[in-house]
Amino acid sequence: MYNASKLAFAALALVLTGVISAQGQVNGSILATAQVQTPITVSGTQNLSFGNVFPGVAKAVAYTDAANAGKFSVAGQASTPVTYSFTLPTNLTSGGNNLPIGSWLGYENTSNSTSGGSGITPSAAPTSSTLSGSGALFFFVGATVTPPANQAAGSYTGTVTLTVSY
Amino acid sequence: MRLLSYALALTALTVPPLSAQRPITVAGVRSLSFGAVLPGVPTVVPRTSAANAGQFDVTGPHDSQAALTFTLPVVMTGPAGATLPLLFGGSDAGYSQSQSIGSQIGFDPKQPFVITFSQNGRGSVFLGGTAQPVPTQRAGSYTATITLTVVSLP
Repeated sequence: MYNASKLAFAALALVLTGVISAQGQVNGSILATAQVQTPITVSGTQNLSFGNVFPGVAKAVAYTDAANAGKFSVAGQASTPVTYSFTLPTNLTSGGNNLPIGSWLGYENTSNSTSGGSGITPSAAPTSSTLSGSGALFFFVGATVTPPANQAAGSYTGTVTLTVSY
Repeated sequence: MRLLSYALALTALTVPPLSAQRPITVAGVRSLSFGAVLPGVPTVVPRTSAANAGQFDVTGPHDSQAALTFTLPVVMTGPAGATLPLLFGGSDAGYSQSQSIGSQIGFDPKQPFVITFSQNGRGSVFLGGTAQPVPTQRAGSYTATITLTVVSLP
């Protein structure tokens, strides 16, 4: 009988412990989920090249100039709006010498062509566009350099940057 | 025999009131879903979003109190171990006695929060948040686990 009593107490203890444990604390979980789309990549595919420039003679490169216009290609999430802007130099430089550059003109297109798209003003504030159905966008840039008559001879360079974001 | 009688009597006194109450439970009902996220563009899911807010359903003894504590991830994990930062604001969680997403009391999911179960012993907890992908965020599916712990209070 003594053993039976101990067994009963043990059973009671287990029952109470189980009840308290089951009612005291519980956990549940869910997931956080996201589908990250394709990040944007921007590639400069061709330099804006003025070739030989003579002092006192302005020289223009049109954005339609297949060989010399600056070109960028953009890749990202298909059919998604983006915002773009250019950072443009005011001079090309060679050591301490400056060669003024201005009169920027450009073109954007969802195909790699200067027809069927839209003319743009690269110096404008950030502008909206939309990636193509395959997630592509192309930019073409032309400009004019205006060397003064006393322009020092040399090789002049500047950096044109295109920034694109969703 | 006397001890056995005491034990049975104690059991009879203790168990019926407890078994008459709704037990404390918590069940994950809906994931916190950010959907399509663009690299570099933060995506916010409000706790009031019926389609995207996370949801837990809780039960407990009617009119009793319990403490809610979240275990929140700081990132979601994606392809090749890439991580996507997650943020939870000071009012990104909400509790509804009526289990209605439109009738919540907001609270900070980073702090324990005491709730009172309704007359029917049911309630729902909703959770929003912000995903903050970097501009170069790798494309793909990202997930993380959010756990809610419910502790009954005396």
